[in-house]
Amino acid sequence: MKKSFTMLLTALLTLSFMLSACSGSNNSKTSSTDPAPAPSANANAEKNAETKEAPTEITIMLPLNTTEAPPDTIKNEVEKLTNTKLKYQFFPADSYEEKLNTSFATGSLPQVTYLKNQSTFVQMKEAIKDGQFWEVGPLLNEFPNLSKMKPEILDNTKVDGKLYTLYIGRPLARQGIIYRKDWADKLGLGAPANVDELFAMAKAFTEKDPDGNGIKDTTGIADRNELVYGAFKTVSSWFGTPNTWGTKDGQLQPEFTFQQYYDTMDFFKKLRDGGYMNQDFAATSKTDAVNMFTSGKAGLYIGGSMQDIDNLNKDLIKNVPDAVLDTHSMVAGPDGKFAQWMIPGYNNVVLFPKSAVKDEAELKKILAFFDKMMTPEVANLMYWGIEGTHYTVVEGKAKAGDDKELNEREVKGYKDSVIGESETNGMYEPYNTLPGRIHAEELILENVKVGVADPTAALDSATYTEKGVELQQIITDATYKYIYGQIDKAGFDKAVEDWKSRGGSKIIEEYNAAAK
Amino acid sequence: MQEVTAPSSAAPKFRPKRGKKTGDLKKRLWRNKWIYVMLLPGVLYFLIFKYAPMYGLIISFQDYKPYQGITGSEWVGLEHFKRLFTEPEFFTILKNTLILFALNLFIYFPVPIILALMLNELRGNFFKRIFQTMVYLPHFMSWVIIVSISFVMVTMDGGIINELLVYFGFNKINFLLSPGWFRPMYIFQVIWREAGWGTIIYLASIAAIDPGLYEAARMDGAGRLRQVWHITLPAIRGVIVTLFILKIGHVLDLGFEHVYLLLNSMNREVAEIIDTYVFTAGLRQGQFSYSTAIGFFKSIIGLIMVMLVNRISKKMGEEGVY
Repeated sequence: MKKSFTMLLTALLTLSFMLSACSGSNNSKTSSTDPAPAPSANANAEKNAETKEAPTEITIMLPLNTTEAPPDTIKNEVEKLTNTKLKYQFFPADSYEEKLNTSFATGSLPQVTYLKNQSTFVQMKEAIKDGQFWEVGPLLNEFPNLSKMKPEILDNTKVDGKLYTLYIGRPLARQGIIYRKDWADKLGLGAPANVDELFAMAKAFTEKDPDGNGIKDTTGIADRNELVYGAFKTVSSWFGTPNTWGTKDGQLQPEFTFQQYYDTMDFFKKLRDGGYMNQDFAATSKTDAVNMFTSGKAGLYIGGSMQDIDNLNKDLIKNVPDAVLDTHSMVAGPDGKFAQWMIPGYNNVVLFPKSAVKDEAELKKILAFFDKMMTPEVANLMYWGIEGTHYTVVEGKAKAGDDKELNEREVKGYKDSVIGESETNGMYEPYNTLPGRIHAEELILENVKVGVADPTAALDSATYTEKGVELQQIITDATYKYIYGQIDKAGFDKAVEDWKSRGGSKIIEEYNAAAK
Repeated sequence: MQEVTAPSSAAPKFRPKRGKKTGDLKKRLWRNKWIYVMLLPGVLYFLIFKYAPMYGLIISFQDYKPYQGITGSEWVGLEHFKRLFTEPEFFTILKNTLILFALNLFIYFPVPIILALMLNELRGNFFKRIFQTMVYLPHFMSWVIIVSISFVMVTMDGGIINELLVYFGFNKINFLLSPGWFRPMYIFQVIWREAGWGTIIYLASIAAIDPGLYEAARMDGAGRLRQVWHITLPAIRGVIVTLFILKIGHVLDLGFEHVYLLLNSMNREVAEIIDTYVFTAGLRQGQFSYSTAIGFFKSIIGLIMVMLVNRISKKMGEEGVY
């Protein structure tokens, strides 16, 4: 009995030893500098080729902006249309940078790698220059649909003048205010025409009991811990602050050296000191800020995409059935001028790592998939879902189905991965019913007319690539501290000096040299 | 272990007799082979999960580029350590780490002991069990939940604590975004989550105390406090010292998740610790070499601390951990 026990134990140990040995050898394979072997698709592919063209196997890694990965409903349809076998790897957008960096460091990026936004793109530039990714520029002409992509946006995504990426297009300036029109009407306020009126509106929403319950329990603005995609940057551009970089005395300088940036900080300091925005905004997540707004506690939501009004409205009327929302973006600065900051026309890009895509033939097969993605049929399927189930066509536009949860669960995951935009990939424009949303679409067109582009979008600075994100933290922290009254103007100036001495001066130099 | 060696005496046919001096290393090894086999998983664990990854420390001496790999990256020697010691930020981070560590040691550490002593004094098994379960429970909640609950309670935008303060005529307190409140919040949450769980080992060693001692003490007229002071505490002293040394071994493991969740722009100057900095610099910003250098440095401090405390405890007549 005891002997058999020891035998069993030995057997177990031997087994575990063998297992660990195996996993050990696997590790060494992936961490070596050799490119990781691509999925062994070709052996199967050749076998099937005799009968008919075998589906291309493609592994895709992308950020997920919902809570759970979507089911295969859409994927199966896309596979049928494009003759592919797709393997999607969804990772939560919140921690996507880590996933990207670790996958890259271990050489395990898949054939198709979506980045998350422009700053992740900046981080990858060094590796792109080093030749870790396939250049796609010269191949685009072979693909009728891919070659339709907008050249001016492609230019913005070039690295050293070469194109390595496909872009996911977005309107240039979607940001603005979503506000409680019913509150404004009740208090006799119009949409704020300038920053002073905006301040007055936030103040009135806080102090004049707009929800009429007799208790002072409302706040003007619901903001979150995000300076760029929260309220701050949008308001700063209304004040006339340049978009990230601006020209002063004939030289490119970062936005936080401009007087308008300070004015914006003062504006927010006054808002917060007065209690006209959520006091803990620097520690408030997006979910919490949105909740404040949709529970009827706050009246202004600034800086996000105005197209979000549909979602905000959906949740708000559950809590406050007679609430009315509207959008607004034309807020004049102290000098009476309008301005809106613009993104460079894309919000994300796709890369093709050489470690996973082993030759140009394979790259072409993958590009063929993206070429098909730029046909209305596939683009609609991925962006809107299945007609009749997720959306219906009204007057030649797509009207999203009433079951918002279903759309969120099954379509949203793929929606953000569609390359190009409706002008180039031919997918339906949205059919809107909510007056605030229709207004938003008009405003988005208006925004562009007074749009301010980031002059460094297509420029290159080695120091910025290396240290930019780290240095930005200094400014972000100092901006919050100023708004919270922990440091004064001198303290902020000191932070700017700190930024300069730790590499900022070099960034300024490099950008100015690149601009010439 | 005894169970396995037992058959050797029971079945002398297959193995040399116990107690016979062999002196021959080979034979001794063979005789105790099952013991070594049983040692194997432990050794393997350390080799695979603790020693093998040390290979990666090399990158802290390199200008590591993921696509060039460890073998291909440029060797820069102590460059990253130089940067470490010249950046003023690093000393703030080190200071923050040590302060949080000290809080853990001097404020948190005694709490489970006191709690265990109190639990031990409870009469009535039913009540005792309920109470025990209640204090264990937070341990099974993740930091995300603990921090979120605190957030809802202390936020200035309608949090219950601040509402109460206002109700009683005080001013609101900015718990979440002020450097001054970060440390109290941190240690309070640590106690909240871990104190109950920490009592388990103490309760076990208290249970092992000979009840005769208490009887004798009662005969001599010792009250409850006397009994605790003269019997319970001395009896668990060894356990306390061992746990103390182990705690110091984790000197700089202050709960990355926890601190990272509490960290924001306003309290960074007191809340940024080595772990969070390594994460931000290494994984979010991709400075692999620099963050490895910091992590390496952290391990060295941990090692020094353990050796120091172990020596002190031996001087004081306790056993130490090695």
